[in-house]
Amino acid sequence: MFNNLLSPNAVAVIGASPDRSKIGNAVLENLVNQGFQGKIYPINPSYEEIFGLKCYADISSAPGKVDLAVIALPARLALSVLQECIQKGVEFVIVVAGGFSELGGEGKKLEDSLKEKLKGTKTRLIGPNTVGVLFPHSKVNTALTPGERIWFPGEGQIGFISQSGALGLLVMDSLAENGTGISGFVNIGNRADIDEDDLMEMFLEHDETKSIVAYLESISNGEKFFRTVKHVNMKKPVTILKTGRTPEASAAASFHTGALATDNRVLDGILRQVGVVRAYSEVELLDFGRALAYARPLRGKRIAILTTAGGVGVLTTDLLTTEDSRPALAMARFSQQEIGQLKQHALPIASLNNPIDLTADGSTLSYASILNILVGSENVDGIIAYALPQTPKIDTSVIDPIAEASRKKTVVVGVIGNRLTGNLMVEFEKARIPAYPSVQRTVSAMKALYLRNMYLGRLLNDH
Amino acid sequence: MTTETEFKPGIRNITEFEAKAILMEYGITAPRGIVFETLPDKIELRFPLVLKVSDASIIHKSDVGGVKAGIMGIYDLLEEYGAMKKKFPNSEFLLEEMAPKGVEFIVGVTRDPVFGPVIMLGTGGIYTELFHDVTFRRLPIGRPDALDMIQEIRSGVFCKGFRSTKIDCEKVADLLLKVSGMISGGKLDIVSMDLNPVIVSAAGAVAADAKISFPV
Repeated sequence: MFNNLLSPNAVAVIGASPDRSKIGNAVLENLVNQGFQGKIYPINPSYEEIFGLKCYADISSAPGKVDLAVIALPARLALSVLQECIQKGVEFVIVVAGGFSELGGEGKKLEDSLKEKLKGTKTRLIGPNTVGVLFPHSKVNTALTPGERIWFPGEGQIGFISQSGALGLLVMDSLAENGTGISGFVNIGNRADIDEDDLMEMFLEHDETKSIVAYLESISNGEKFFRTVKHVNMKKPVTILKTGRTPEASAAASFHTGALATDNRVLDGILRQVGVVRAYSEVELLDFGRALAYARPLRGKRIAILTTAGGVGVLTTDLLTTEDSRPALAMARFSQQEIGQLKQHALPIASLNNPIDLTADGSTLSYASILNILVGSENVDGIIAYALPQTPKIDTSVIDPIAEASRKKTVVVGVIGNRLTGNLMVEFEKARIPAYPSVQRTVSAMKALYLRNMYLGRLLNDH
Repeated sequence: MTTETEFKPGIRNITEFEAKAILMEYGITAPRGIVFETLPDKIELRFPLVLKVSDASIIHKSDVGGVKAGIMGIYDLLEEYGAMKKKFPNSEFLLEEMAPKGVEFIVGVTRDPVFGPVIMLGTGGIYTELFHDVTFRRLPIGRPDALDMIQEIRSGVFCKGFRSTKIDCEKVADLLLKVSGMISGGKLDIVSMDLNPVIVSAAGAVAADAKISFPV
């Protein structure tokens, strides 16, 4: 149903322009620079050619079928141009301009007329008031931000739905730091037509997408959202960051239940009911999105910690075994036989009770052997492995045993530092191993994996 | 939370006695009780009793001195009735057997503007407003949801036993499911409901107080 959005053959940019100050300029440039391989039709009656591409006066003169049209024109022109797109049989239309329902009054009326136009047609609309879409696998990039101002993520496994355009772009720019890719990004904007539920269905059917993350400020339809998320989340993990809490919403209610039913509490319960891991910040949203896409499912709560820095192990233990907004997990306990095995591979000064601290004298070889024992242990459900290249005997080749371990067991990696760690983060990302640059984020990612498995087990039992 | 008598447009409150009659239709246990304007001569209830003002316009009865619990005998009752009658000369009264002591929960229903009817379970009694230890689900719910809800609040610990108090949480789950069945499918069109406290003991789960409001 969304195939021609995810992977269109022909894209038109209506309002394309060589003028750097125009949004139609950035949209066309991003599409070209992303390396889109299908047909690109700039539409603008004032030009013969833009960026060496033949320019058409209007959408109806574009040759052949158009799968996706981006309307990069002011709001007042959007309605008539949408009509032309519908006549042309364009399947997906992105309306970039703001000035619709977000303004209320006349803007709301204008948006209602857009919706009215779509009725009974095969055309689906994204926006209005959207920064666009990005699908790296098919090289579709309709972002309105000039490409020299932002990094766009490359191909990855995370489907990213954002109600905010700016936050979406900023998060994507940050992702690029460690080379985290995405399978798709859609800013739903005012969601006059296509909403978060449609996109979750889209990403569910999208093979490249392994996990779905959504940033929402409101929910378009509670009943539909509940139904959609429940069924999508059973098959692909969904993480949601919901902002715009209004604790005072029902404070005037005369009954206790009404007064206590803040939308934040209600949503908290409902996300548990549909088994969705809730993120509380934009960082958590993508952290969990990565963990749920990359790591093996965590089947229990017994975690082993492997480190070469004692303090890191202690802090990890504290955070891991503390109930915060998420449940406490347990420290794995090794059998006598396992402790014996561990001893053979560590220096006498190493601490072999969980957390395992190989100390600053620990070597990559010793690390690898111990990791292997943890992978084989029936007493360990998941491993937090710290890759800390700051001591002389640990080098970046530590990634190899960690990659090996994460093929067999749930592994989350912590990489603390700066000078040598940036490259290591990139390497972990390439290997699709969830790695995090702080103890807190590492632990939270493991907890998210635990919650996912717990919820899923219950949802599957229900059926 | 407001304490005064209140009328909200579009909402109709009913008395506690009427609310409990509805609960009992759906298999939810409430204490035995009678309603009267003048105390009858013969009372077939077992002491200890609780006397409450019964007036649909008074939502928070205890805040206005409209609840007297722990009435141990007939002389007690006559005295408390006299005092209460003086305070609320134009109201009716509800006289009930007191529920056995136990762990107190709040069970409620309200309409969320986005998700529609939702059910709440929380730590009940006077602690409801102090701790805000509550959890919600969208209606209808199934037994696994009900059991999860119990786990999510602090008082859920009593299911495993705590300080020699242990309760059967299946009874709490049963009650949640009865409430779910009562509301779901539009069977009972209510705006909001508070059962607080629901007292859970060896005797089962008893809705010791109940408030229900309907749309007009």
